[in-house]
Amino acid sequence: MRRHRLTVVLSQAQGKHPGKRALEESVVAALIMEPGLDVSVIPFLYDLGPDHTGRMFLESVKGDMVVLSWLFPRAAFWILDRDGIRGKHGESLIKPAADDDDDTPETPEASKGIGSVNVPDRHIYCLDLRERNNHEPYVEEIRRIAAESKARAEAKTQAAAASKPQVVDLGMAFLKPTNGHANGQAAPAATELKFSQEELLKTPGRRWYPVIDYSRCTNCMECIDFCLFGVYGLDGESRLLVENQDNCKKGCPACSRVCPEQAIMFPDYKTPAIAGAPVGAVGSLKIDLTRLFGGDTKDAVSQAVAERDRELVADGRDAVGTTVGLAKRQSDKAETPKDDLDNLMDALDAEF
Amino acid sequence: MIEPLTFMMGKYAAVLPTDRRYCRNHMWMQPADGMQRFGFTSYAIRLMQDVYFLDWSVGDDTNVKLKQQIGHIETSKAMSDLFAPCDGMIVRFNPSLLEDPSAINVDGYGNGWLFEMQATGVGSMTVEEYMAFLDAGWEKTQNMLKGHM
Repeated sequence: MRRHRLTVVLSQAQGKHPGKRALEESVVAALIMEPGLDVSVIPFLYDLGPDHTGRMFLESVKGDMVVLSWLFPRAAFWILDRDGIRGKHGESLIKPAADDDDDTPETPEASKGIGSVNVPDRHIYCLDLRERNNHEPYVEEIRRIAAESKARAEAKTQAAAASKPQVVDLGMAFLKPTNGHANGQAAPAATELKFSQEELLKTPGRRWYPVIDYSRCTNCMECIDFCLFGVYGLDGESRLLVENQDNCKKGCPACSRVCPEQAIMFPDYKTPAIAGAPVGAVGSLKIDLTRLFGGDTKDAVSQAVAERDRELVADGRDAVGTTVGLAKRQSDKAETPKDDLDNLMDALDAEF
Repeated sequence: MIEPLTFMMGKYAAVLPTDRRYCRNHMWMQPADGMQRFGFTSYAIRLMQDVYFLDWSVGDDTNVKLKQQIGHIETSKAMSDLFAPCDGMIVRFNPSLLEDPSAINVDGYGNGWLFEMQATGVGSMTVEEYMAFLDAGWEKTQNMLKGHM
């Protein structure tokens, strides 16, 4: 039996937060002692450009992979997808503090998104380092994932053995007794490619760009219409693409606000939902119901329009307000005749 | 009392008694001691879940205007500023809630009432109108729960 190995990658926090560094170090120290794992450390995933060694290393991993980062798992998963590092979504059991009631927004809906493309047959698990404050739960979860990954690989090998002449498989095993991956893709172990530790950990510059969750994106193009900085484009198959990420304006999450499916993430943004948080409250982060209870906070679209105007003006262009890129929404509004409820609301507003 | 109505929030049934009127900020109101008594609807309470902390920024016998901020609430799931449901004078806040706000969760339509007010020009709804109001806003509310405020 070939040895099955699982790649574990820890993506460091930006900056030098001592508490975060301490957790990173204790997680890595514990994982190195575990059998069957290839453990590597890279800088903050979101900041890795195509030339960064850390990114090349990630690209070299072919088998199942666990990525620990200071990002929401959904954000980490789709940043990897954006970088062409794809796989099936591995379900982690490390989740926000127990939410065991029948919270309605959590009900899994059939995915309306267009999905990713060219997804290889391997799993990527993303774990959020903000969920727990000591290394044990992570080590335990990675052990569980390693077992799950191994079981899957063995099942696959058996299936392959059943359908292929056995001698081929045995031959392969003799050729690469230790490093071959059980899934037959013969990926070199991380250490084998000799990425220098120094290059791997080189601090990248900060980046700012939208990350698309294709499990949600319906290709509706509202973001292309709304963004006036040419960030978005289409790929060869007319799928939405973040084409010119460097055109994106640092700190501006406006397109994320206008996306009807909440498919656009800015993993570095302060508001959890825009940074890729799961639906509903996240750990200690709470929903702000002020608007529901009568407060006059701006709605998402007005906020997005204001943010876009600010960036336009900063670029020496004219502000456009709501006149550009909201055509679909505006026309929808105008076309819908008022129903009884609208009339009721109008009456109440008049009364107020 | 006539059977209460229920509004389905996914699988959760928010009960809406028929013996009172409702405001757009998800408070109910009911005559009491010659005034109007206000409290959170089960819809609001379901969104907030367990109330940890309730604070009023105005005192008893205060004249308030519609949508004037009057307090703040923090719960297991949410936080929010609280606003006056109409113009008028808030005569008294429910004193027991300041000790222990859990009555809001336990008995939101009874002992968990929030304040009593001499209300003027209240734009309130019947229970059926409030049901329709919830229905119309439910998709938006779910989007808001996803966090895109």
